[in-house]
Amino acid sequence: MPCLVIENVSKSFGGVRALDGVSFSIDDGELVGLIGPNGSGKTTLINILSGHLAPDSGRVLLDGNSIEGLPPAELARRGVMRMFQLTRVFPRMSVIDNLMVAGCALGLPQSEAEERAWQLVEDLSLTRVAALDAGQLSGGQQKLLEFGSCFMVPPRIALLDEPFAAIHPTMKEIMAGFIRRRHAEGQTFLVVSHDMPVVVELCPRTVCMNAGTVIADESTRAVLTDKVVIEAYLGGAEI
Amino acid sequence: MERWTDSSARNRREFIASLAILAFVALLPLVMGNEYWRGVVIVSMYFAMLAAAWNLLAGYTGQFSLAPATFAMIGAYSTGLLSYYYNVPPLIGIFAAIVVAGLIGLLLGRIVLRLTGAYLALTTLSFAEIMRLVISNSIDITRGDLGLNVPGLFDDRLTYYYFMLAILTLTQVGLFFLLRTPAGLYLRAIRDDQIAAASRGVKVVLWKTNAFAISAAVSGLAGALYGHFAGLVSPELGLIAQTGIIISMAVIGGLGTLAGPLIGAFLVYVASEYLRDFGGLQLIIFALLVIIFGRFFREGLWGLFSRYVLRTGIRRPALKDAVPEK
Repeated sequence: MPCLVIENVSKSFGGVRALDGVSFSIDDGELVGLIGPNGSGKTTLINILSGHLAPDSGRVLLDGNSIEGLPPAELARRGVMRMFQLTRVFPRMSVIDNLMVAGCALGLPQSEAEERAWQLVEDLSLTRVAALDAGQLSGGQQKLLEFGSCFMVPPRIALLDEPFAAIHPTMKEIMAGFIRRRHAEGQTFLVVSHDMPVVVELCPRTVCMNAGTVIADESTRAVLTDKVVIEAYLGGAEI
Repeated sequence: MERWTDSSARNRREFIASLAILAFVALLPLVMGNEYWRGVVIVSMYFAMLAAAWNLLAGYTGQFSLAPATFAMIGAYSTGLLSYYYNVPPLIGIFAAIVVAGLIGLLLGRIVLRLTGAYLALTTLSFAEIMRLVISNSIDITRGDLGLNVPGLFDDRLTYYYFMLAILTLTQVGLFFLLRTPAGLYLRAIRDDQIAAASRGVKVVLWKTNAFAISAAVSGLAGALYGHFAGLVSPELGLIAQTGIIISMAVIGGLGTLAGPLIGAFLVYVASEYLRDFGGLQLIIFALLVIIFGRFFREGLWGLFSRYVLRTGIRRPALKDAVPEK
């Protein structure tokens, strides 16, 4: 059964057509990679799915209910949690408080949110910096923190925009391990990434976009050997 | 067992410091018999409430309003008009002041919802000037610049002193507990990053308007109490210069801290009494201090005290903590 259905979604910014009739769906418990060259519309699509943009046309269905145009907070409450490409944490709040914001806002009692936050920092190897303000952390640690915020309450779907960009390989492994474990438990993911080895290793299925359209949607291995994808990505060279 | 984070420990330290300052103020009348100086401290407490209320909005929620004095004026006129025309008892008038200022704050919060930075500041400044001019020019109702005479709450200044102190203490305790609830988390999250807060499920619209309403209600309460203390309410309460003083108190004391606005209010107001003979010079001095603190010491005097006396400034991670654990 589809968790998320994207139906013919289009979005323009002035004369630029960022998305042009994008359609695909993600089944319950699937881990789908979303790849494409810069400017292909991946982040615009994530912005629409997470409520930061409204589509010009088309529909987005979460568990069969139309959600396009709903505000981000409402979508978060419905279980659409999003990680940004450029890290967004609350720099003047402690790591624990950062996590508790999501926990409390999504309905956990304060004490439970705090317990959950301490558990998450342990899972993400952030215990030693848990008491510090988020602004004092390294870029990679901030990324892990933002990633953790998506899982304070198990989301219906986690939209991760470039989670592995510019972070230490050990942190990348921590994050990938977390994703693998959650996926095995049935968590649904859409992961935007340029990091092909990680996409190959994590995602059984990949959607590739170019110039605002879906140019491939099949198993990751098949997508990466698709001539159209190779052409779009590297102008003909092998990935 | 509570596990401490830097921000929760900071919050508790600031609260304890606030209580220590208030305890010091409570003991002052034992050695300060002069009625004039007791009056100065009472007015300082009025400003401390306004600075704390503005700090909730600007320091904790990141909404830079230029209307704190206006809400004090609205509160003062709410009780003043009720008392002047209908002989409503002061305590009911003060309650009405809280409600009226809070509701107007809620309305203003909705109006400026999508504004940030200079646009928010300019819109609230326009609101402040419009309100002041409306009150000043509605001579048939408000008696314009002549002001309204309002009855006092108590016969002696010492009772006023401790009544104001009790209300100020309640305000600080209220703010401390508010900041420890999820609401406090949401306000600080909105201050740091509204977009991130919304995507974590925080109802940004609701909490921004709530912050405006709470801040306005506390300012209205302060204005009403001041009106009954002074025996007169006038449009001067809402002058932009008054807002400037409130902002300078919060910034010099320490924006975004519980203890800062208290420290700033007492220091700035008492200093302004000493500098009274120099006229406009005092405003220049405070403006310069705001620039210096805003530029070099963002956490104000409280931040400096924390860093150099308590040695509990913002911690940097140890090198071993900056690298992954696995």
